[in-house]
Order: sequence, then structure tokens, then C-alpha cells
Amino acid sequence: MPNLPTAQEWLTQSTLLLQARPSTTRITTKYSHPRRPNPLSKPKPTPSTTTPSDPTTAPSKTPTSTLTLKTYDPISGATLKYTTDKAQEVGRLIQILGRLARGMAGLEMKEEEVVVKKEEGVEEVGTPGGEVDRQIGGAKGPAGGGGGGKKKKGKGKK
Amino acid sequence: MTKPLSNDEFFTQLTSLFQSTTHGSVYLTQKRMPTPQSAPSPTAEVPFPDLAPSAPTSILIRATNGENAKGRKEGKKVKLSTVVESEAIEGFYARYAEVCKGGMVGGLKKRDRSKAKEKLKAKKRKMGGEVKVEGKA
Repeated sequence: MPNLPTAQEWLTQSTLLLQARPSTTRITTKYSHPRRPNPLSKPKPTPSTTTPSDPTTAPSKTPTSTLTLKTYDPISGATLKYTTDKAQEVGRLIQILGRLARGMAGLEMKEEEVVVKKEEGVEEVGTPGGEVDRQIGGAKGPAGGGGGGKKKKGKGKK
Repeated sequence: MTKPLSNDEFFTQLTSLFQSTTHGSVYLTQKRMPTPQSAPSPTAEVPFPDLAPSAPTSILIRATNGENAKGRKEGKKVKLSTVVESEAIEGFYARYAEVCKGGMVGGLKKRDRSKAKEKLKAKKRKMGGEVKVEGKA
């Protein structure tokens, strides 16, 4: 059961799986809340290697919810998974779901370029999330089917 | 299996499902609506008739909170489903995105732009301050 590293990879593989088996493949979106730590039980004193008074480490301890996308074809047994905990990816992923649903229904998966371009403009910050966003925006070819050849690197003539 | 709801009814119930789920999970599934009566059998010329359906099919959407047998007995289990016609997919997903964003974003990590900016500012200020001090001394 592969857990794919990027949303783009999940989209590419899922599109291929859907194209191969459109009538049996299903996509499950799981939004799961973490189990909250019991407030009555005292937290165990953990051996701290870093400085305990560091304020940046404190918020990361609180468990966050996760969003898991799973594409599964019960006939071939192919499973593709992608898990994220970033809020800014939810909107894009659901738009992807809509795009994949069009393919499922036997319609053309259109207007992906418009969607991607629009979001590329929004997501322009040098955080780690921004890096992922650019990857998603950059490699939009495969979703349309057979567009893997064109890479948007360099501007050609100088 | 309960009957599929209308799209509008599905959205209202999905919204309340997201609101009522404070721990545990919400599962959403989408697949092509099976049409057993019209499924053509594969032939030598067309080995996979489902790859290019003559008419666009509809999509089946399911939502559940994934309660186990115990929760089912207690009546906690929620199961919803709806059928989206092929013409209505676009409009449906626009609303679907709204509902899901509203229900999901709460517990997820937000991008903290402000923090990153503050850090940068603090860094600059620190550097600037040091330079001044050095200049005085």
C-alpha cells in the first residue's frame, strides 16, 4: 500500500488508475481527528534533549487532524494513498476530487490548467508548503494524459 | 442500505456530520454509479466497454463517520449517500468544496505566515541593533 509523498504524484497515479478502471475504482477521503490526550492523566515526564523552555517546540506537540486520500480498485487491488495535515491543501485536493469525478463519469477532465494557474498565484510564499505547491503547479501535464514530456524549466532562448 | 438523498439534503446532513464529529473520522467516498442493467458485456472488439461509456454516468457519493458495531448499536453510526448526475458534477463539487473546507480546516495545520514574517523582522531588527551598538562602541 504505497503512501505517496506528494499530492501531485497521487493525482498522477490516481488519474492513470481511473483511466484504466473507471467503473470499479473508488476514491475515499478520510478526515480524521486525533485522539485527544486524557486531561485527567498526568503527562509523563519525557526526557528532554532540547531546551524545555523553547517556545517553538511546544505547539508541535498538539496532535493535528489529518486528511487521507485513498484511491482503490478492488478488482486489481491497486491502492494509492496520500496523507496531509496542511489546511491550505484541502481546497486544492477537493478540486482535484471534482476533476477526477469528471473522469469517473466518462467526461473529459477539463479546465485543470485554469485551476492550477489560479492557485499558483495565491500560493507564493517561501514556506515548505509553498515548495509543495509549486511542485503541484509545475507538473500539471500528466493529469491530461500523455503530457509528461513538456517541462516548464528554462525559458528557451536567451 | 438507506436510499440516496437529494444533493441539497446530503449537504445539510454532511455539514451536521462534520460538526458532530469532534473525534474520530469522517469518510467520504466517490465512485461511478453502477448501472447493472445497461452494462455491456466485453467482446473481442471492445474488451473494456467501461473505458468509453456511450453516455456520461452519474457519480455515487457516500459519507460515514465510520462507527463500529458498538456505535451502530448505540445509534451513533451515520451513513449518507447521494447520486450526482453527470451534468451536475461541477455545481456539486463547488458546494462540496465549501462544505468540506468548512468541516475540515479546523484541526489541520494552518500556514503561519505571520510567525515567519515576525521572525524575519526580529532577525533584521536584531542585526540592525547590533550594528548600531557596534558603531557606538
